Amino acid sequence: MKNYIEINNLRREYRPSKKVLVEALKGVNITIDEGEMISIVGSSGSGKSTLLNILGGLDWDYTGDIVVEGKNIKEYNENYYRRFIVGTIFQQFYLVPTLNVEENILLPLKFSRGMEKSVIKERLEKLLDAVGLQDRRKHMPKELSGGQAQRVAIARALIDSPKIVLADEPTGNLDSKTGESILNLLIDLNKEEKITTIVVTHDMKIAEKTQRIITLKDGLNV
Amino acid sequence: MFKYALDLVFRRKLRTFLTSLGILIAVVLMSFILFGMSDLETLIVGQFSKQFKPNELYVGTQNFTSMMGSMATAPSKEKEVEDKVEVITEDILNDVKNVDGVESVEPMIVINGVDLYLEGDDVAYPVAYPAGTNFNGDSHIYKELLSGDDLILDKGEAYVSSFVAEFYDLSYEDIIGKNVVLKSVTPGNVFSFASKSMMNKEYRFKVVGVVDTSNDVLFVNLEDSLGIVVDLGGYEDAQDYIKTAGYYQLVVSTDIEKTSDIETLLTEDMKLSVISTKTLTGFVSMLTDSLTLALILFGAISALVASIGIINTMIMSIYEQTKEIGIIKAIGASNFQVMIIFLIQSAIIGLIGGVLGLGFTYLVMKVSDPFIVTLLSDQGFTTDAFFHFRFDYSLYITLASIFVGILAGLYPAYKASRLDPVKALRYE
Repeated sequence: MKNYIEINNLRREYRPSKKVLVEALKGVNITIDEGEMISIVGSSGSGKSTLLNILGGLDWDYTGDIVVEGKNIKEYNENYYRRFIVGTIFQQFYLVPTLNVEENILLPLKFSRGMEKSVIKERLEKLLDAVGLQDRRKHMPKELSGGQAQRVAIARALIDSPKIVLADEPTGNLDSKTGESILNLLIDLNKEEKITTIVVTHDMKIAEKTQRIITLKDGLNV
Repeated sequence: MFKYALDLVFRRKLRTFLTSLGILIAVVLMSFILFGMSDLETLIVGQFSKQFKPNELYVGTQNFTSMMGSMATAPSKEKEVEDKVEVITEDILNDVKNVDGVESVEPMIVINGVDLYLEGDDVAYPVAYPAGTNFNGDSHIYKELLSGDDLILDKGEAYVSSFVAEFYDLSYEDIIGKNVVLKSVTPGNVFSFASKSMMNKEYRFKVVGVVDTSNDVLFVNLEDSLGIVVDLGGYEDAQDYIKTAGYYQLVVSTDIEKTSDIETLLTEDMKLSVISTKTLTGFVSMLTDSLTLALILFGAISALVASIGIINTMIMSIYEQTKEIGIIKAIGASNFQVMIIFLIQSAIIGLIGGVLGLGFTYLVMKVSDPFIVTLLSDQGFTTDAFFHFRFDYSLYITLASIFVGILAGLYPAYKASRLDPVKALRYE
């Protein structure tokens, strides 16, 4: 689908104090096709994380429009949007330390209903295969390397079969070799699952591997 | 979601345990109140009903009921003195006998100013108020004749309570046939204010029975008791004593259908002071109820302190789990679900405190019960067990603990649910 995601004149302002006004996004316009894998790059303070938080449904205090599949995201139920429309991968992995690999991957399902056990099992096995952690499924996060932890986070983001994957500096905490393998995994998953993928990074080497690069500068796409 | 909340609780086992200690203390207090006080009341009322029949009235003068009265109201100078009979004379006794529905009237005399000794032993039994009565040995007023088979107190004979035999290290059988001596407590010396008639008097009685009356330690027949009070008080004769000092008490047995009416008549028309079994058991109930209420207040205060502990722990948890709250919100948990997760955590802390508290109470009850039973039997209460662990109460206590946990968790849970996920994820 062409223009699967449409971001029109997106603005976001912060007021850290009464006298200070920060314009994080000053009217961003982006369109992304269905199944496309793009990267958003920019220096620190360019508005990358703000844009990702808004797209991830974590921040709703913006002006402008974001349309996904022809529907303004403000028309979605906030939790439904975060559960089924987007899956987010964070730079720091954010795994729950007391849950093992399998439990961490299945964690989003604890907040949603309706998926049958057999479907869940099938989905889990498929994702464990995809991220190459079949033999680590009972391991605790502290027993995993950075790359393995990020693989768990990727599987967790995909367990609910979201339509869009948002990856916030997914290789930022990893060495270059591991980072590359993680990016390759995202590229493979994008191809296999046809999930629209948005990677936020400041690393041009990573960005160049995606289909398209969008650069943000001072709150505007250039 | 429950498993996840459970995981959060047990992630910090020590803190969870320490927080649940607050609930545990409150539960232990409440359990002892509920399991102990109801048993105490049952025990005392049961004990009363052994000695006092519901169709009986205890009739005396204003002084006779003053002890009970002073417990209910504070004395006041301005308070009007009640218009009550001050001396129960023979005429009053006869009037009571003639009241419709009265089946029998037994007068009693209490002898003051004497010490009780076992003959041949120079240690006095502490605080003894011997009584004179014509009740037979099988009467319920003695509760039970523990040894001896002489059912009629003849002149010079006495029943002693089991306490007396135990005080002088004698078995209930061995004390039978021995003599007890009542000695006037005021020896004739320069410091004595006693009248001449009271000095150095001794009255000897042969023990013919041991009764189960605890602190009512000695019973002699009415004639003997009158003889002693006449002699000690310097009265001319029994008639003179009864006319002047009167009987201490009349035990009035009534037709049970008319007990209440007779009590009203004796109190209001004849201006006598009357205590019924209903009054006595009511008084005991009032005492135990007041005590229970006071203890429940303590329990409630400790529950409040425990709640503050839970609130504190849960708020600490929010700070510690801020990032995790951000994660679960980012992966789809709603505000309501976050709130439920925290409420489940506080409910589990309440449940742990409740179950541990009940377990601890159960153990303490099992260990302490034999000692309490021994202590009570020393005081004349006969019971096989004092504490009765009741599972219905345990269920209520457990539910109450969970409720306290949930109540204490409401604010922290609300606070957690309102966390901004973006800020929560950035929280360090």
